[in-house]
Amino acid sequence: MSNADELLRIEGIRKVFPGVVALDGVDFDLRRGEVHVLLGENGAGKSTLIKMLSGAYTPDAGRILVGGEETRIHGAQDSERLGIATIYQEFNLVPDLTVAENIFLGRQPRRFGMIDRKKMEADAEVFLARVGVKVSPRARVRELGIARLQMVEIAKALSLNARVLIMDEPTAVLTSEEVEKLFTIVRRLREDGVGIVFITHHLEEIAALGDRVTVIRDGKSVGQVPAATPEDELVRLMVGRSIEQQYPRERADRGAALLSVEGLTRDGVFHDVSFEVHAGEVVGIAGLVGAGRTEVVRAVFGADPYDKGAVKVGGSALPKYDVNAAMTAGIGLIPEDRKGQGLVLDASVEENLGLVTLRAATRAGLVDLKGQREAAARIAGQLGVRMAGLGQHVRTLSGGNQQKVVIGKWLLADTKVLILDEPTRGIDVGAKVEIYQLINELTAQGAAVVMISSDLPEVLGMSDRVLVMAQGRIAGELTADEATQDSVMALAVSNPTDKTGTTDKTGTEATRGH
Amino acid sequence: MATDTLKSPAGASGAPGGLRRLLLDNGALTALIVLVIAMSALSGDFMTTDNLLNVGVQAAVTAILAFGVTFVIVSAGIDLSVGSVAALSATVLAWSATSQGIPVVLAVVLAIATGIACGVVNGILISYGKLPPFIATLAMLSVARGLSLVISQGSPIALPDSVSHLGDTLGGWLPVPVLVMVGMGLITAFVLGRTYIGRSMYAIGGNEEAARLSGLRVKKQKLAIYAFSGLFAAAAGIVLAARLSSAQPQAAQGYELDAIAAVVIGGASLAGGTGKASGTLIGALILAVLRNGLNLLSVSAFWQQVVIGVVIALAVLLDTVRRKAGATPVAAGTSQGGKGRQAATYVLAAVVAAALVGAMSFLHTGSSEAKSKKIGLSLSTLNNPFFVQIRAGAQAEAKKLGVDLTVTDAQNDASQQANQLQNFTSEGLGTIIVNPVDSDAVTPAAKAVNKSDIPLVAVDRSVNNASTAALVASDNVTGGKLAAKSLAEKLGGQGRIVILQGQAGTSASRERGSGFAEGLKAYPDIEVVAKQPADWDRTKGLDVMTNLLQANPDIDGVFAENDEMALGAIKALGSKAGKSVQVIGFDGTADGLKAVEAGTLYASVAQQPTELGRIAVQNAVKAAAGDKVEKSVMVPVKVVTKENVAGFTG
Repeated sequence: MSNADELLRIEGIRKVFPGVVALDGVDFDLRRGEVHVLLGENGAGKSTLIKMLSGAYTPDAGRILVGGEETRIHGAQDSERLGIATIYQEFNLVPDLTVAENIFLGRQPRRFGMIDRKKMEADAEVFLARVGVKVSPRARVRELGIARLQMVEIAKALSLNARVLIMDEPTAVLTSEEVEKLFTIVRRLREDGVGIVFITHHLEEIAALGDRVTVIRDGKSVGQVPAATPEDELVRLMVGRSIEQQYPRERADRGAALLSVEGLTRDGVFHDVSFEVHAGEVVGIAGLVGAGRTEVVRAVFGADPYDKGAVKVGGSALPKYDVNAAMTAGIGLIPEDRKGQGLVLDASVEENLGLVTLRAATRAGLVDLKGQREAAARIAGQLGVRMAGLGQHVRTLSGGNQQKVVIGKWLLADTKVLILDEPTRGIDVGAKVEIYQLINELTAQGAAVVMISSDLPEVLGMSDRVLVMAQGRIAGELTADEATQDSVMALAVSNPTDKTGTTDKTGTEATRGH
Repeated sequence: MATDTLKSPAGASGAPGGLRRLLLDNGALTALIVLVIAMSALSGDFMTTDNLLNVGVQAAVTAILAFGVTFVIVSAGIDLSVGSVAALSATVLAWSATSQGIPVVLAVVLAIATGIACGVVNGILISYGKLPPFIATLAMLSVARGLSLVISQGSPIALPDSVSHLGDTLGGWLPVPVLVMVGMGLITAFVLGRTYIGRSMYAIGGNEEAARLSGLRVKKQKLAIYAFSGLFAAAAGIVLAARLSSAQPQAAQGYELDAIAAVVIGGASLAGGTGKASGTLIGALILAVLRNGLNLLSVSAFWQQVVIGVVIALAVLLDTVRRKAGATPVAAGTSQGGKGRQAATYVLAAVVAAALVGAMSFLHTGSSEAKSKKIGLSLSTLNNPFFVQIRAGAQAEAKKLGVDLTVTDAQNDASQQANQLQNFTSEGLGTIIVNPVDSDAVTPAAKAVNKSDIPLVAVDRSVNNASTAALVASDNVTGGKLAAKSLAEKLGGQGRIVILQGQAGTSASRERGSGFAEGLKAYPDIEVVAKQPADWDRTKGLDVMTNLLQANPDIDGVFAENDEMALGAIKALGSKAGKSVQVIGFDGTADGLKAVEAGTLYASVAQQPTELGRIAVQNAVKAAAGDKVEKSVMVPVKVVTKENVAGFTG
């Protein structure tokens, strides 16, 4: 290939796993100094493709050219040698080592067989400065927030002299402000001539950052378009049909208060949090990561203890730190960490769907397995879970379908107040809309939904009311009409009055939630 | 269970396909079948009803323990205490029914309650004390073992007859332990598959936090899970004691590891979330078939352990390969890749089988001679030079007389010895020589040998309450007396001494100890300042002696109930040994005699182990031929000191 700017070219890649064609005839190319967005629904084959580049898989057919030369990438060493670095969603960092040690893990500069700390830290400082993050090379990785972890990963990639940087959904876990910072860094890298493969589900980011877009659907590359392509068109390419409305909220009639939270406080985490949730409404909770949103709803659900305040359902207070009491009162929680807290990954769809109702389906110690199966089949059909059968392990489902299973188990339990913590994180557009439809159905039937989301358009598009949290307090409440990106962000970065006089951490980025 | 639901629709594609799938889906079952085929090809004695029932009986205790451990492992925990808890429950049963006179039914209830209580304590430590299961149950392992020694005061307690029937057979052929095993297995399958707590185990093991956030009361469930494990351990303990007609405080040592191995061979993951009762049963059967088969094939006792380890690793490896082949569940059967992996599974199975057959035919020595010329020798242990010398003497004599001698090692475990005697009996050997781990515990197995009309010769230790054609032993009591006499005389009739005892509860320790005490009566000025067990072991002798020296720095003499402990004590004494402190040992092993020569060991009461082995085989051959043998052959003991050591040969 004659193009000197071309870093990477993939031609007609095919990869077959037993019984599944994961990729079939995918073409892709990357030039110096561009951000090439890889777009596709979950399960379309994006992950398989980048794993070929990082050496985790080898293609069954097709060619990979790096710098115009055909190569085979057989493992992490090969990809490192070729200057390809990948930043996965789950970071590959060792929590108890320092930032500098993580950056140079396995390649620490040595003197007389001992690690040369001074040199290592000085070198690390250079790379951290290039990324533009203020973090001490001597800080332990465990102490860093998620955004900084990502910066450290990027610094690590730079230290490997990477010319190709692959980023797998880097913005999924970041707040809007952190996303802006990341974009600044990515743009700087682009100017330095690094080629960046950027995977995202957020369509608005494409126009903001990308140069070109390759869309993958069902293991095939279905098109390469400029980043300026309208979102509707991108969605049509990605899902193979057009999606009428991204946020199809249908407002239901507001009924009686189902849940009221009064002055809930856990010292040092959240303070004096009060709100009510009424039948038929969707209450969005917005705020920066670390504002205490997840901690509050976990306390409401009884998963964690709290120090002061009360959670009342139907006028009577629930005992604190008691998941079962909250469940009996009709509260359900879809946790933020789907795989870590929502699902038993190596159990079947049927078993996961029946988890919440297991106790109710038990008579004299025996579980009504037949009843459980029928209920699971009914709800799976209702939610349109795409699976090989009820016996399929949920680990092998796509993210959207996994989330449907988590929601499904609570639907089976006749939940009155469903708390959704980041319900659409890492889920593609098509599945997102299906989940929004579910929220509509729930509220239409008189249930209430509390939705935490870091995706502002989603909060604005789906909520009837928006609570904004900042530094562990409710900074304000906005009606759907009042709520705009600007008004929500203004509250999210505000410093709510501190009645007790204690001062919390002032940084906008706190340690990670659960 | 989880995987069943997935495989069932696909499995309905006709019988041969179904069988193939069953084997592919269950690596452990394949391994068991391979093993059974290999064993029956190699030994004509394997595939007999009697022997297969033996295998069942021998698997029973491990299987019942393993069923209990299955609950724990499925919920991502571990229980190391089951062996000790089994021994404790059995001891409680025997103690309350005999020395406390509690009705047997109540005693059984008490024993089971003990097991459950141990499990509940484990559960509380883990759930509420937040201890890692490994540590909590490791602590219980020690506590339960200690309590059973405290209650029994170190000696075995005979069981009332009504309980011993649990170790008998129904209708003359169906062994009760097998029935109990099957019953417990069905209960396990039922609990895991159908009950709330069983389904909770899978959820907790799969993802504890998800289970908690789905409203499962994880802490209470864990309590119940460990209580279940304790209950099963108690049941296993009762079956074990019933088989031996006595409760051994030292029984079931190391059984927790067998149980864990059985569970994992059966396809469970130590990470939790998977595991089935049927798999665990298969795992326990694999271990039992292996031990039984290796006995039948006369594989050397040392090699047996190697083979067992290799088979455990291969069985799990087979399962891992199988799992990889089944990783894409739906369409795997039709694609190329799937077939390739299936083929790999078959190839691996074939390699395992070939390796097994090859290894065994290599390891087991020819067996073409007539049965009456075959003699089996079950030694209590081979972890001690004394018994190794017995074996050497026996082997030399067997070679001289032209008989085929099979030696097995019971590893100081009375129940393993019972298994070995059972295997010898079903092989129909000419004579069986037993060196009992414990004189009482060997009784039921010895009675079974009596029933089959095979002459039984006891060596070194007697068999109580069963008839033996001959007992070839050295006189431990006399030896003890001699030791007391020579030590006292060397010290001039006065001084302070310590005694290092053998493993608590063994007859040799009791006899030598009582002989020594008796001999010491003649020397009132000799004071025994301390008396501690060091388990016949050199390292423990060193440690215990070091500790005793802290408390009693100015001792004059040491009596160790065997040479190994004496040698450990000498190490602890350092330069004092043989100078200011006189050490006397027992057994006259090669190392011991060297120390006598060097002067660090004052004397060893020498038995003549080679002689014991030699005479035992002589008598065994006579007994097999129907010749008259003397009921009791006492091989003399001798105090070997520096003066006469040169002329002494064991």
